[in-house]
Amino acid sequence: MLTKRENLLETIKGGNPDRFVNQYEFLDIILEIPILVTMVTPGKEIKNEWGITFRWPEGQIGGFPVQDDDHIVLKDITQWEKYVKAPSVIVPEEKWKATIKHANSVDRKDKFVTAFVAPGLFEMTHHLMGMENALTSFYEEPEKMHELINYITDYELRLAEQIINHIHPDAIFHHDDWGSQKSTFMAPKMFEEFFYPNYKKIYGYYKDNGVQLIVHHSDCYAATLVPYMIDMGIDIWQGVMTTNNTPELIKNYGGKISFMGDIDSGVVDFPEWTVENTAKYVEKACRRCGKHYFIPCLTQGLNFSSFPGVYNAVSKEIDNMSKIMF
Amino acid sequence: MSKIQEVKSKVEQGRTKIIPGLVQEALDEGDKAEDILQVMIDAMSTVGDKFSAGEIFVPEMLVAAKAMSKGVDVLKPHLVSGDTSSLGTCIIGTVAGDLHDIGKNLVAMMIESAGFKVVDLGVDVPKEKFIEAVQQNDNVKIVACSGLLTTTMPAMKETVKALKESKLQGFKIMVGGAPVTPEFASEINADAYTPDAGSAAVEAKKLASA
Repeated sequence: MLTKRENLLETIKGGNPDRFVNQYEFLDIILEIPILVTMVTPGKEIKNEWGITFRWPEGQIGGFPVQDDDHIVLKDITQWEKYVKAPSVIVPEEKWKATIKHANSVDRKDKFVTAFVAPGLFEMTHHLMGMENALTSFYEEPEKMHELINYITDYELRLAEQIINHIHPDAIFHHDDWGSQKSTFMAPKMFEEFFYPNYKKIYGYYKDNGVQLIVHHSDCYAATLVPYMIDMGIDIWQGVMTTNNTPELIKNYGGKISFMGDIDSGVVDFPEWTVENTAKYVEKACRRCGKHYFIPCLTQGLNFSSFPGVYNAVSKEIDNMSKIMF
Repeated sequence: MSKIQEVKSKVEQGRTKIIPGLVQEALDEGDKAEDILQVMIDAMSTVGDKFSAGEIFVPEMLVAAKAMSKGVDVLKPHLVSGDTSSLGTCIIGTVAGDLHDIGKNLVAMMIESAGFKVVDLGVDVPKEKFIEAVQQNDNVKIVACSGLLTTTMPAMKETVKALKESKLQGFKIMVGGAPVTPEFASEINADAYTPDAGSAAVEAKKLASA
């Protein structure tokens, strides 16, 4: 039986996997990176290190940036330098201790030591200035948007340097949502102009410094961005929704990139979830996408579900499909 | 190309910085304010159709709506009625517990561009606030409820139920958002569901004139 790491590599190289890669099993994700921005937790409101306020309403499934006039950080893109101050990535070594201990505890023959990085470049722009302001500014103030994105990119590169120096990750799990379930937020050409070169720089830096695997999370429609994903160095697109026509993507791009998802969280992960419904969607995904360049997984980022029990139920059904199909 | 046609074309292209000047030039050349307003509404209708067809994306729709808004600012003093919202009032909001606002804002912009007065209640709006807004505003033709989370769909259902049971009349209820389907809309007794902002404006016009 192959290790989780070996099985993943066989799957994404089109070799001989002996079972489906089961969701996030091949990644040991290190969330406790001391220089990442503070994340909001259920029922709370926080202001993070960039000054962005996040609120997570009680009983709901996610946190959101608060961007009314009193809270928005970047009030005028033409003066972004006045409003946007990146936090320092240098912290006392003491704060890295638990992170390093976690990384050292992982059997790297079995799993990839994986650094979690969020938010991404696009998310950071709209967290700072609001979605409408960000998207209109690509037209109205393109030079200033380039400057802002370059500034965030420089921050990400400083962050990458610290992460690499401290835990030498094998993989990066990087979060940046680029669309809705039906469309990308912007035209591919706009994405190419504003984000592609900067991501190529960031992911290139990780790869030049020993990171073997770039896993990018974007639980949306982004099929039209796949050629850019390949070129910027993404090995696995996690969060691929069924609206992308995953089998078609595998057919067209398998071998250059792999796809992790095709089990839309919305249709299986809800309060009244059932094992039967979960099994139905897992089987559909496994049968239509096949054994190569595909990892069956909930589309949600990270290895949990919104409602207790769903993540494990999906894993169990994937194991069942492995028994049937391998 | 006539000046008024240029206004139409530049609204479609979202040329926010030059629209105010163009509208003023069209007025100076003798075009009626009402006619200029109509070509801008037509331009936004084209933008909505292109968005629904996947030919353009959110940024293009946003800059077009912003261009129209700047043009309307120039037009307002010249309109006989002083009013750009001949189709009635639309109350819009994201339902209780849900802080998503992008889709709701796009719908609000497109509905306003179609000729409605829009009262935007914001996000996390309790059902009571929707009812209060219908009571407090004149000529309410549409109430539009948005929700992006599966967990807030019950709040959408409650809002529609409360509006229907309120005995207030003269308006139709539209619903939309990622987890909402035509089946769910029908199940909760909403009057219409639309999948995107472009089609929402088309449907709102249809409902208001029914």
